[in-house]
Amino acid sequence: MSTELRVEKVSKSFPGVNALNEVNLTLKGGSVHALLGENGAGKSTLIKIITGVYRADSGSLKTNGEEKFFESPVEATHAGIAVVHQERNLIPEFSIEENITLHNPPTRLGIVDQSERTRMAKEALQTLGFEIDLQERVKNLSVAQMQLVEIAKALVTHAKIILLDEPTASITNAETVKLFKVIKNLKDSGSAILFVSHKLEEVYEICDTVTVLRDGESILQSQPLENYKQSEVVDAMVGRHLTDRKVELREVNRNVMPVLELVDVQTALGHEKISFSLYPGEILGMYGLVGAGRSELARSVLGLHKITSGEVKLNGQVVHIKTLRDALHIHHIGYVTENRKEEGLFLTFPVRKNISITVLSRILQKLGIISFQKEDAISSKYVERLGIKVVDNNQLAGTLSGGNQQKVSVAKWLAAETNILIIDEPTVGVDVRTKASFHELIIELANTGLSIILISSDLPEMITIADRILVMRDYELVDNIHNIKDYPTISRAVMTAIHPV
Amino acid sequence: MSTVLIMRRIVSDQRVVLTTLTVGLFIYFGLKNSAFFSTDFVIYPLLRDGAVLTVIGLAQLCALSVGHLNLAVGRMAAVAALASGAAYQYWHLSLIPGLLIGLCVGGALGFVAGLIIVKSQVNAFIVTLAMDFALLGFVTFVYVTFTGATAAFITKPKGMEFWRNTSLHQYCIGGVCGPKVFPMMLVPAIVALILVGFLYAKTRLGRELLSTGSNLRAAKLSGIPVDYRVIMAHTFSGLLAALAGVMLAFTNGSFTASIGSQFMLPSFLGPVLGGTLLVGGSVQVLGTFIGTMLTLVIRQGLSVQGIGLETLNIALGLVLLTALSLGQIQKMFTTIRMRGQT
Repeated sequence: MSTELRVEKVSKSFPGVNALNEVNLTLKGGSVHALLGENGAGKSTLIKIITGVYRADSGSLKTNGEEKFFESPVEATHAGIAVVHQERNLIPEFSIEENITLHNPPTRLGIVDQSERTRMAKEALQTLGFEIDLQERVKNLSVAQMQLVEIAKALVTHAKIILLDEPTASITNAETVKLFKVIKNLKDSGSAILFVSHKLEEVYEICDTVTVLRDGESILQSQPLENYKQSEVVDAMVGRHLTDRKVELREVNRNVMPVLELVDVQTALGHEKISFSLYPGEILGMYGLVGAGRSELARSVLGLHKITSGEVKLNGQVVHIKTLRDALHIHHIGYVTENRKEEGLFLTFPVRKNISITVLSRILQKLGIISFQKEDAISSKYVERLGIKVVDNNQLAGTLSGGNQQKVSVAKWLAAETNILIIDEPTVGVDVRTKASFHELIIELANTGLSIILISSDLPEMITIADRILVMRDYELVDNIHNIKDYPTISRAVMTAIHPV
Repeated sequence: MSTVLIMRRIVSDQRVVLTTLTVGLFIYFGLKNSAFFSTDFVIYPLLRDGAVLTVIGLAQLCALSVGHLNLAVGRMAAVAALASGAAYQYWHLSLIPGLLIGLCVGGALGFVAGLIIVKSQVNAFIVTLAMDFALLGFVTFVYVTFTGATAAFITKPKGMEFWRNTSLHQYCIGGVCGPKVFPMMLVPAIVALILVGFLYAKTRLGRELLSTGSNLRAAKLSGIPVDYRVIMAHTFSGLLAALAGVMLAFTNGSFTASIGSQFMLPSFLGPVLGGTLLVGGSVQVLGTFIGTMLTLVIRQGLSVQGIGLETLNIALGLVLLTALSLGQIQKMFTTIRMRGQT
């Protein structure tokens, strides 16, 4: 019988979020199936359920007629399913060939067969037309090269069912063309392929059928792609109604000197000709797909990466920000990181010390001694203002919930009393209610005159709170949209900017 | 709510537990063999050794505070003692200037170690280990070259006898004299305890050092110059190692190549038993003193019982292992609790 994978009525919820709701999906041998949807629609969750990373709450999975959920990724691999996940799953210290054959290295008498391993890796990479020294360590590769190694890793298993979660997100057109050739070959040899991409033109080039997810539900279920126009697919992806909350338009006066202005900025990381202005009290959104270069731009402005040409102006004055310390203490720019656990918090410190870390210079007595009284006053003020749930200021940050930790990492920047605050993905991993309170907080802060750059991959969030939306693609600004907060109009405009028709 | 309170109580209790354990063991050993209560032969030397080892513990604590290790504490002490000894022998300096030379040398060594770590991005473990080897060769070479067969600088500056042999007994205010068991050597140790304790508990610099150890990336993104802080921590570490080295030379009465060779293990025992995290971000300054005294009481107690050196080392090794595992177990519990809450 021919290869078939059938997902039926699969549901999955995480604390506070209904990630998937009775989703159906059918993959057939000899066909390429597109899985589309916005960020957070549930695409990656579905792939992780198919491959045994997550356990579904309900529903069924049939692989070649056998009904069974996989208990682990290893089991899924043995059942002939290969996957390229959105996030990298390579071991940086290992060589390319070691990574490609990681799941199942060829052995002879229990010892890895080096020459066979080289042959297998070479074969997989040759089908991709990718030539590179197989002994090179993966950590030395570019992002695009890693992506290709990742794909080769899936090909080497000769799986009949192949799931590709945004395989083209970071590779160039030339590499994409080669990849598509491989996908066509696989399809002709009877494999079933799932293809996830935000690039609609690619989807139309290679896919036969389509499933669209929106808010965890399958809006289009395994339909022939040729029956739908590109605009109809976009409608299916974004056509949600924002009934949960009323959104208000804010007045921002743009006839004054911008607080921050970038003119033709080019960075060492590859940003080209970036120009924009941020006005007092404005919430400027920065939207783009993962890897579009938004956080990297923010970090370049803060002095963490080099700006190679162009001008950065603060209140009309050209500045050269060299270190984050200068950004904070001289230029009054704060940065709320997206990785709160890794970069935003001191888990061994109490809440009090976490909040005061940016303002130590302001609460000093003689001899560099910290005034605990002032420290307490400042931290209490922001604990109260943000509604952080703590026993007292001395509770360890590591013992707080995710949402409260996020609030602490914002609190320290509010305490710093900056003029500009760059907030990176403020609501990733927080539940719905905290998310709403965050949105209110951000708007409230802007109303007090703080200028905010909001980086978010969550389009509804963007449309709810941003005054303008800059759209970024491949390290370039491609659009500057005045947000009238009408979801269908703006989401269409943003999508069109990202996926030019 | 209750978990936090209980946890805080345990943290504050740790020192109480350690003190109780130390005093309890002390009394136990004394009851088994009354010779253990001898002021002159047991308690006084015990406290004098404790003073030196507390300071070396503080040297390690400074490196630990930023999440690093200093495996060269012993050899930094040796080089500093060498410098002081040479200053007394050849330049006939008096006590304090000679001591200051030693401290400067120690601080400079620590600074260099920190600089290499920051610039090369090589792990502190490797850098200080390599430094330890290099300095070991250097110290032996210098002593052999300059002092020949004696292999020691034996000039004693004026006042050295006083520091090594007397106690607070000599000081009287209005007819009330200090206790006889209190060695003068404890004075520099107490000064070091107060200064280091003040640094980490009260000052901005201390807070920045700890934040660097707690989460390097978060510290950097909060505008803290983490590279300078790492260099500073190693400089303090070298400085305190130097103090310990010169103190030991005073205690021994001569400056030799063997100074510091027994420092490495105790330098970890004190802080770790006292509750300083090996991964950085949290230090216990007073705990370092108590932890050091506990190990010394165990060592002295067992040796007064007539237990051989081998058994003694086994016992001390076990104490360290237990202490290290306690740190890990504590960390494990913290992680589990955090997972439970998110």
